[in-house]
Amino acid sequence: MKAFEYAAPESLADALRTLRAARTQSVRPLAGGTDLLPLIKADIEAPHTLMNLKRLRDLPRGIELDGEEASRGALASLADIARHPQIARSFPALAQAALSAATPQLRNMATLGGTLLQRPRCWYFRSPHFRCWLKGGSACDAREGQNQFHAVFDTGVCRAVHPSDLACALVLFDARIRVRGPRGERTLAVSEFFAPPEDARRTETVLAEDELVVAVHLPAPPHRAASVYVKAMDRAAWAFATVSVAASMRCEDDRIAAVSVVLGGVATVPWPLTAGLQQLVGASPSDDAAITAAARTALSAAEPLRMNAYKVPLAQSLIRRALSFLAPAP
Amino acid sequence: MLESTVLPAESRSEPPTEAIAFPPGDCARLEGVEKVTGRARYSADVRLPEMLWASVLRSPLPHARIRSIRTNAARALPGVHAVLTCENTPAIPWYDHGKLFDRTVRFVGDEVAAVAADSPAIAVQALALIEVDYEPLSFALDLAAALAADAPRIHGGERNLVEEPRVDQRGHVRRGMREAELIIDRVYTTQIAHHACLEPHGCVAAWNGSVLTLYASTQGIGALREEVAEKLGMESRDVRIITEHMGGGFGSKQVAWKHDVIAALLAKEARRPVYLVLDREAESVAVGNRNATRQHVRIGAKRDGTLTAITAEIDIQIGAYRAGGEDSIVDWVYHSTYACRNVRTEQSVVYTNTGPAIAFRAPGYVEGAFALESAMDELARALSLDPIELRLKNYTEIDQRKRKPYTLPEALRACYASVSRAFGWKSYPRPTATGAKRRGIGFAAHDWVGGSGHPPGKVRVALGEDGRFRLETGAQDIGTGTRTALAQICASTLGIGVDQIEVQIGDTDVELPAPVSAGSATLATLGPAVQSAAAQAKALVFDAAAAALQLPVETLALESGRIVAPVGAGIGLAELAKKHGRRSLRAAGKRTSNRRSHAIRTCGAQCVEVEVDVETGEVRILRVVAAHDCGRIINRRLVDSQVIGGITQGLGFALLEGRVVDARSGVVLNANLEDYKIPTIADTPEIVHAAIDLPDTAANSTGAKGIGEPPIIPVAPAIANAIFDAVGIRLYNTPISTCSLLDALSGPPYFRVCDREEPTP
Repeated sequence: MKAFEYAAPESLADALRTLRAARTQSVRPLAGGTDLLPLIKADIEAPHTLMNLKRLRDLPRGIELDGEEASRGALASLADIARHPQIARSFPALAQAALSAATPQLRNMATLGGTLLQRPRCWYFRSPHFRCWLKGGSACDAREGQNQFHAVFDTGVCRAVHPSDLACALVLFDARIRVRGPRGERTLAVSEFFAPPEDARRTETVLAEDELVVAVHLPAPPHRAASVYVKAMDRAAWAFATVSVAASMRCEDDRIAAVSVVLGGVATVPWPLTAGLQQLVGASPSDDAAITAAARTALSAAEPLRMNAYKVPLAQSLIRRALSFLAPAP
Repeated sequence: MLESTVLPAESRSEPPTEAIAFPPGDCARLEGVEKVTGRARYSADVRLPEMLWASVLRSPLPHARIRSIRTNAARALPGVHAVLTCENTPAIPWYDHGKLFDRTVRFVGDEVAAVAADSPAIAVQALALIEVDYEPLSFALDLAAALAADAPRIHGGERNLVEEPRVDQRGHVRRGMREAELIIDRVYTTQIAHHACLEPHGCVAAWNGSVLTLYASTQGIGALREEVAEKLGMESRDVRIITEHMGGGFGSKQVAWKHDVIAALLAKEARRPVYLVLDREAESVAVGNRNATRQHVRIGAKRDGTLTAITAEIDIQIGAYRAGGEDSIVDWVYHSTYACRNVRTEQSVVYTNTGPAIAFRAPGYVEGAFALESAMDELARALSLDPIELRLKNYTEIDQRKRKPYTLPEALRACYASVSRAFGWKSYPRPTATGAKRRGIGFAAHDWVGGSGHPPGKVRVALGEDGRFRLETGAQDIGTGTRTALAQICASTLGIGVDQIEVQIGDTDVELPAPVSAGSATLATLGPAVQSAAAQAKALVFDAAAAALQLPVETLALESGRIVAPVGAGIGLAELAKKHGRRSLRAAGKRTSNRRSHAIRTCGAQCVEVEVDVETGEVRILRVVAAHDCGRIINRRLVDSQVIGGITQGLGFALLEGRVVDARSGVVLNANLEDYKIPTIADTPEIVHAAIDLPDTAANSTGAKGIGEPPIIPVAPAIANAIFDAVGIRLYNTPISTCSLLDALSGPPYFRVCDREEPTP
């Protein structure tokens, strides 16, 4: 761990001023610190300045609901989200994702903004012994290495998986991310916010170094759409997903009217499924054969590595499980 | 029993002293409140005035020769007080082949240099300034690689074997296999597992003139003193070891590790106390692990279940060095668990470029029992026999290796009966499979060579001037409850309450021999010595009171801190002690030898119920019922704790835990508690201890034996057998992770295991 300066601005304007220096020397915003501090201790992050956001008076931290819509401050904790009754009612997949993440202690500390910006848990990325591509090296060590927990969809060089449970649910609900930077505020669709790392930008989001996530806005879900988050882990608690599924489905007259599925644990970013699912529209929600076929098609583009082929049938099973959970009781 | 003809006649047995009566109920751990309130001081909590912080530079390569080391920049860093490398440190012999700082490094994590500085940050900064020029050598990271014909030689010599394979046999296995009507022939592998002690290895070293004090996290203060003194060329009386409380050892802290001597040398050079506690990565890679194994097992049996022959070829991955301590005795499992006339084992111990293995809770037996008990289950199913019936069919009342009867021959039978009854084995209501969830039950048995206790062991019991008795021992309490159990024996013998006993433990200054806390030996070693010392102390006190009161001793009784006569005369213990001075009302007790005519062992059995999700590969253990022979139970609560802890650790071994090594670099990828997954409370099922509580009075005068190790032994095979019962798939490799189970569920007819070599159909 390298020594760093510490800043604790009290207004967003001050924070953005401090961040402006990020162009010349790195400034890292600190919220819950559950990911950033371990990264600093492991020398993966070595900021010149650590800027505490928790003192900001004007950075929203609460959860505001307007009708069925929800707007959540970047500083809302995962525990806040998990136990918010209206979130649980209107966006169950999100509440379930929050509740399935990490441990109670971590959920009390970790923030919504932070969970969007979590770095991968890939053991090559996290280990000081490797300089993998994501850390500026020339190749992905996982591709030929120990890759049982890695991505089955190929999005570029890196095969780390995105670790956030909530991110999958936010993609499912078409969340919009409000960010503020030196040029003012902009709002991004969550599907644009996450982007597989590329040569010139080796991170999982398009957030610029001098920008801050300030809030997340959730549009009201379509009437009568049900949602669920299903997570497979290799331990009963305190584990990242081997594969997870955030799914929503709306039925009309015992037919599927709309369905969406976002997979976690399979790619560098939350992975919305497009292939295969459309064929379910019009099918009966209890048509197991159709759902199984759709799940198979949905995973047909997967390119598993040497040790993670199990994720493909696992993802298919979880999709079936999620959709059967969402089917209205006959 | 066929073998009974060769038993020696009952001879030279030393009759146990009068059996001890224990008060009913149990008592809470004496240090419990201190621990749960955070006041208990562990070695890692020790802070001394002027103390420096040490850090160790470790090899980044799995095998290399050090061409040169430059430390100028590190030494020049302000706040650095000492730097040690192979160039300025005596070549103290270490391990079986090696030096404290060797010029050849043999695993990623091998010690290269050490620094003591004003702060941990400066120490780490100084390490980064040390320039080491390595000449990389080719390496072998697992058994297959190390045994290959073209494998690099890790310690020179012909092959990477620690010694010639150990062949142990009785009878004629070839004939036994010919007589067999059914043979189970399987290969099993078990993984490298980390002890994952929550308190890492480490110590604080301080010199006072020529006397060294080490506040060490160790399972053997006496053994550590001897080893450190020998390494440093000192008299052992000039070394003092203190271990007030221990945060987990499980076998890994039973020898002197390099950091113990490095801390002492740094403290000597810097002339200041030095704190050297390992970080989690070093804890995971450099100070011991359970060895991996490959076991080729063949079991021959008659149709009625009688075993005709057992063979096992065993390879043990010991890592880069033999660290000492208890050996991993995988092979013994095959010789002792069941009656069988023809048994042959061949055990090879293999060097690899990974951290040195060391004993881990029932070393060897956990690995061997996984294979043997999986094979026995397969055999029972092939013969359509109940797994418990098959084991009863092959029951032995003698130690077939030593050809001696067991002191408690009926104990294992009692365990079978107790566990089967408490679990409801015979009347298990198998639920009909619904959806993806399948339930099943599994059984496994075990025996264990430890638990018997043995000399030397000496304790003192003295009456203090406060009227309380002081029990002095040179043992340590590694979290198992040694303090409490010994105090209970002492109190029972004296006929007073446990609160009237003060226990002195964890400091070599008492100069009393005690065993390393290993082999489940502490209670059975020191318990009888405590009993003897307490009985003598009681006699001394009564004699002194009789003299003071001028009454016959047989008329006196001890009541509420006073020795009283029926007519009302009496004298307080405190007064008596003051009258007699410090030393006179003090007695020593010694552990006598075990009788030679008999073999002492511990044993047990477990039943588990699992639920397997065939779509996600998730295995939930629903319940575990365990019965283990530990002789007389001195403290039920502490024994239950060992049973629960051992089973939880066994569950981790069976399902979750395993070292992952990067094949190209030799780096351990999960040397942390995030990726190395030990069970959480959510993984841990209801654990029922169906105690048998049979005093083994032929073993020692207390009738008590050890319980530390047994509960971990049969967990993995019981779970594997239950998984087979649930889904019809047998897994031959631990850990049975969700991904290996998913691979197996989706890939018949052969089983693909996600972290091992590619399968061949």
